[in-house]
Amino acid sequence: MMNKRKFTAVSIAVLLVVMLLAACSSKKNDATSSPSASDSPAATTSASPSPSASGSAPASADAGTKLTGDFEIQYFVGGYGDKWWKKVIADFQAANPDLHVIESGGPKINDQMKPRWIGGNPPDFIYIDGAGINDRQMVEDGQLEDLTDWFKTAKNIDGDMISDILAQQPQQFSGKIFNIPLVLNSWGVFWDKALFKEKGWTEPTDFKTFMDTSDKIKASGMTPFIHTGKYPYYINAGILFPAIVSANNNDFSILQDMAANKVEAFKSPAVMAGLNKIVQLRDKGFIDKASIQISHTDSQMLFLQHKDAFIPNGLWLPNEMSKDIPGGFDFGFIPSVTQEPGGKIIANTSTATVAVAKNAKNKDAAKAFLQFIFSKAQASQWAELSGAPSNIKGDISSSNAPNFVKDAARFLTDPNTVVIPSITFNADVQKVMEDSIDALTISKITPDEWVKRVTAAAAKVK
Amino acid sequence: MNSGTVKWQRGVFVAAFIIPTFLFFCVFTIYPVIQALYYSFFDWSGMSQHKTFVGFDNFKQMFQDPIVWKSIGNDYFLVVGKVIGIMIIATFFAVALTRFNFKFAGFFRSIFFIPNVISVVVIGVLWNFIYNPQIGFLNAFLSLFTSEKVSITWLGFTSHTIWMLLPPAIWAGIGFYMILIIAAIQNIPSALYEASDLEGANQWQQFRTITVPLVWEQIKVSIIHITMTTLNGSFIIVWIMTEGGPDNSTQVMGSYMYQMAFRQFHFGFGATIGVLILVLSLITTVFLQRLMRQETVELG
Repeated sequence: MMNKRKFTAVSIAVLLVVMLLAACSSKKNDATSSPSASDSPAATTSASPSPSASGSAPASADAGTKLTGDFEIQYFVGGYGDKWWKKVIADFQAANPDLHVIESGGPKINDQMKPRWIGGNPPDFIYIDGAGINDRQMVEDGQLEDLTDWFKTAKNIDGDMISDILAQQPQQFSGKIFNIPLVLNSWGVFWDKALFKEKGWTEPTDFKTFMDTSDKIKASGMTPFIHTGKYPYYINAGILFPAIVSANNNDFSILQDMAANKVEAFKSPAVMAGLNKIVQLRDKGFIDKASIQISHTDSQMLFLQHKDAFIPNGLWLPNEMSKDIPGGFDFGFIPSVTQEPGGKIIANTSTATVAVAKNAKNKDAAKAFLQFIFSKAQASQWAELSGAPSNIKGDISSSNAPNFVKDAARFLTDPNTVVIPSITFNADVQKVMEDSIDALTISKITPDEWVKRVTAAAAKVK
Repeated sequence: MNSGTVKWQRGVFVAAFIIPTFLFFCVFTIYPVIQALYYSFFDWSGMSQHKTFVGFDNFKQMFQDPIVWKSIGNDYFLVVGKVIGIMIIATFFAVALTRFNFKFAGFFRSIFFIPNVISVVVIGVLWNFIYNPQIGFLNAFLSLFTSEKVSITWLGFTSHTIWMLLPPAIWAGIGFYMILIIAAIQNIPSALYEASDLEGANQWQQFRTITVPLVWEQIKVSIIHITMTTLNGSFIIVWIMTEGGPDNSTQVMGSYMYQMAFRQFHFGFGATIGVLILVLSLITTVFLQRLMRQETVELG
């Protein structure tokens, strides 16, 4: 009896230990046997492409050197999709058969690759887009290769200077270049042309017509303007920043100074003039009260349902909401509404950039890839496959790109448009600007207090 | 059979249960806590290979940051609001469903428990719709009683927006604590109630002198549990509903930690807030334990 009980007890104990150890070891095995799977779950080695894919691709990125070894590309998959990446990577692989191209792409790729960047083992090439990644922060962390000298002389595979064919020049961090803009998108203000036609409202061309039309819209019982208070960078990028540039004699260097945390820039009268335009919108009761608490999607839905007439947004809006656009809705768009009559239109661009990792193992391949993707042929290809204007100058009018993309591209290359090159603010300052603009739109603070708060934040960063 | 062997076998048996659990506890709880403490002494973006040791700078900065103080205030506001709201309603429901023998008690018990089955994320989204100023239920409901359409921005006040997060948080919590108290009430021998009936005690007197003292242990556990889950977990509902906005008026420690660590790239500072949450949770729990150390009535 005693023996039996003892036996049972011991065997249960042994069983438990074995089970737990087994659980442990299998976990460990999972972790060690496939490190690449956990580091880069979407990693796929691009199969040797079919000859047809490489038909149009030039023979080699650089005729002089032959690229070999591994070359890893990290790309975020978001609103622009991954069709272009798949195509261009296959073409690049075909042009460089001895190179082993590794793709690490996906909607969560920024988080998935983070341990590798922290561990000093990053991929060679990165497309900086999506949540959880910030080019300014990467530069400050010393993770990106300094491309200043390379960019001065870099030619693409067609022999054109890359700097010549870019619609928008790279952002400079203390005079240095680390990343090159690939996308050229624009912020601005949307309305429904069909509705305006039906009601006889004038489409806005400047601040005066915008305010006059808003008056009429309000009188008709509709709210003129909605934005997303949950993500206040929409109203900052679509209204405030263009307003500041207009008030600064169309000189966008003020925004660059703000991004460089120069305290005086925030105290400039141009900033105050921009803020006062928001105050005018607020005091006239043009801003939908719902704005403060809703997300961008909610604000876009209310706009599409004709609850509100204007919305600050980016050119991706028609694509983003394509499933919810009511029949007969006809998007009208202008990059800025805050300029005085006769003043130039200000286009505040939104971009996503590409860069080479400082710790890249195959920098030659990464630079060759840059030369490969910044070619004229890619302008149309990007526009077609991603549904957004590319940062490469090139005539896309004959391509299969969507119409609004062609229109936008025309807008952005018009000599009467001031194109603000994409600017990344310091994350702390940006947050304070966002909180403060929210507070301003609900009359919690005055423009003076806005300046005071943001100046304090910028001074702290410095 | 010598007793040494038996003792040893007993030891092995106990160790077989404790050691693996302890190891897992160390790896998944103790180690991360120590890591967080370690990172709180560094200036680190959370993305970089390089960390700079800054000593207590993060802590100094944290105590100078007005948003941190506001977050602490908001967290304790939620703790107090939830403890009062949930305990009163849950106890009321529990008593109503057990002591008043009515027909649909089982049905209501299930109904009140439903919010606990729903994920907090869904609850946040649901209440966002209720609070939506344009198409929300609350304004539509209030508009029934007014001549003009009500357009209150429930989540967009210039201050005190945190009050609006209390109803969803309470609504989501009632069911679980109600069940806990129901179970406790059902364990009370009915003889006690019968005797008090004979003595002429009314429902309120029975509640005060029989029910509450005998379920005090469960009430105590519930209060401590609400406090801890709120201090550690209020992040979810805040992040889903307001992301701490507008203008940081609904920021809690958890949401500010996330904002700082992952949105503003101050991972070290985020870890410092994490340490603050840990310390405050510990202090609060110990304090509550002592405060509520009322003698527990044991049923012989």
